[in-house]
Amino acid sequence: MEKNIYKPINARIEKVIEETANIKTFVLKPEEKFSFATGQFIQMTVPGLGESPFTPSSSPYETARIEVTVMNVGRVTSKLHSMNEGEIVGIRGPYGKGYPIKDYYGKEVVILGGGVGMAPLRSFLLTLLKESNKFKRIVLCYGAKTPQDIVYKNSFPVWKKEKHLEILRSVDKAVGKWTETEGLVTVLLDKVKPDLRNSVAVVCGPPIMMKFGTFKLIELGFKPEQIYLSMERNMSCGLGKCGHCGLGKYFVCKDGPVFTYDKIKDIPDVWA
Amino acid sequence: MELYYLSKDSLKRLINILLEENTVHTLRENNGDLDYGVLTRDDLESTEIIYSKYRAIQPIKSFFSLFSEDVTADKTDTRKRIIIGVKTCDLNALAVMDKMFMEGEFIDTYYKGRRENTIIISSDCTDAKDTCFCTLLGNNPFPSSGFDLNLSPSEEGFVVEAGSEKGRALVRTNRNIFGEEDKRLEEKRIEKRQKMKSKVENINKKFSLKKEFWKELPLYFNSEMWEETSGPCVECGACTNACPSCYCFLLSDIEGKPGFKKIKYWDSCQFTGYARVAGGANPRPKLFERFRNRYLCKYDYRPGALGLVACTGCGRCIECCQGKIDKREVLEKVMK
Repeated sequence: MEKNIYKPINARIEKVIEETANIKTFVLKPEEKFSFATGQFIQMTVPGLGESPFTPSSSPYETARIEVTVMNVGRVTSKLHSMNEGEIVGIRGPYGKGYPIKDYYGKEVVILGGGVGMAPLRSFLLTLLKESNKFKRIVLCYGAKTPQDIVYKNSFPVWKKEKHLEILRSVDKAVGKWTETEGLVTVLLDKVKPDLRNSVAVVCGPPIMMKFGTFKLIELGFKPEQIYLSMERNMSCGLGKCGHCGLGKYFVCKDGPVFTYDKIKDIPDVWA
Repeated sequence: MELYYLSKDSLKRLINILLEENTVHTLRENNGDLDYGVLTRDDLESTEIIYSKYRAIQPIKSFFSLFSEDVTADKTDTRKRIIIGVKTCDLNALAVMDKMFMEGEFIDTYYKGRRENTIIISSDCTDAKDTCFCTLLGNNPFPSSGFDLNLSPSEEGFVVEAGSEKGRALVRTNRNIFGEEDKRLEEKRIEKRQKMKSKVENINKKFSLKKEFWKELPLYFNSEMWEETSGPCVECGACTNACPSCYCFLLSDIEGKPGFKKIKYWDSCQFTGYARVAGGANPRPKLFERFRNRYLCKYDYRPGALGLVACTGCGRCIECCQGKIDKREVLEKVMK
């Protein structure tokens, strides 16, 4: 029989990392060979309950384990949050098109992330850092609601030491000790001053941030084809068949999840 | 074009042979309508088989993409089947389904197994319902492709066209029944086909939809008429279930069972939760937005992605609508 496209393979939860009050990172060890390109996503099954799409947050160069960062927002994710080390989940994939890393060689890469939208961007960033000399400049603009909502608290100190990486962070509301920017993440973009003829922007975050982040980038002079967006839609199969993730004529799972803005900007309900 | 003539008796003889190795489905009367039923040897002897007429109420997809199916059970359905009396609207819809499930990087082996082990013997329409509108879509009530064999009723028998390798193989193995190929048979079916086409055109003459109207539908995305025309919709999803080219499905994990057991069942973009994401955001929260989505999917999105219009004019969605919504009227109003 040909491969059954609907059936997941087992992956064992090796470690659970608490990122914030409602975000956890699950370190998974697939029981069969599994690899992905950064930006591609997987379907993760909680046995007997349901399945949801996640883009791994780990480096694709690490093939023995996959990390998936999950915010507790729904039925599947809430069950996931109650799961412990040693338990089994299912994974299928990888699906979709990832980031075209080679197209970014020699360019300034501006990464704009919000909240748990940092998950795919972490994988992307780790991929860039693996060959950081290939890029003219790497800037990470990251925003969260409050300092407590910042994910990857352990990674930032490490990233700060990377000489090829500039990091700008903001929180919507500064509480406690916060010495960095206060305000929406888009304000960070004013500080970047990229060489517009030779830059790309890579955006992932909540829908409202994606929308205004894109508008801000356009306002700053980015062309739609320079803006790479991770689109979110309901997904069931991940295979380009079930219809749920329709975005105009595209299926986000198959034709995305990463789209350049020029491809989708004329779809009337693109930001819906 | 490979044409043969079969008398009614010869066709019966052929079906009799086919019954040895296949389950044969034929059209049958069901409360004044047509449905598919399994043909037995006794039926073949005792009943008048309906070969043509018009399409069945049951969309052809139900044979290949089941309403509900366990897609984690590692076995494909390879039972040999023959479906007789499939109409052009359903053949065109199968072309859409085939692209969705059997093309690209991921192949649905469940769909493919059934599709490959089924022989489709289509037939020209010899009657039409008042909901039939294939001609508005530039289609005909007789097929030009997508079948293994096609039957065009002619005099006391049928002009039979072999339209695929499967069909030609069937002819070869039953050469004594089919006899020799005869190109002149083409003339025998032309008149009837044209007459039928005129009948469908007549049914639809009150609708002023332009030729290839669907190409302009995206221009009417913001028409106020979507809200008005969707008014009687009760979101039952009958239109998407009855549609032969609505392929959408949902994978559902069975609760309480260990391991991975996934049931794939038909879903509908008309339902509120269809596009809702975790956290509650919904790209189409309003009924008229979901209603509009179905039209755009059929006439704009799928043509853009597959090169095929995903409405074939079968009219089932009109017939089954609880709110008596007529797609043709909706399109007319929206595109005014």
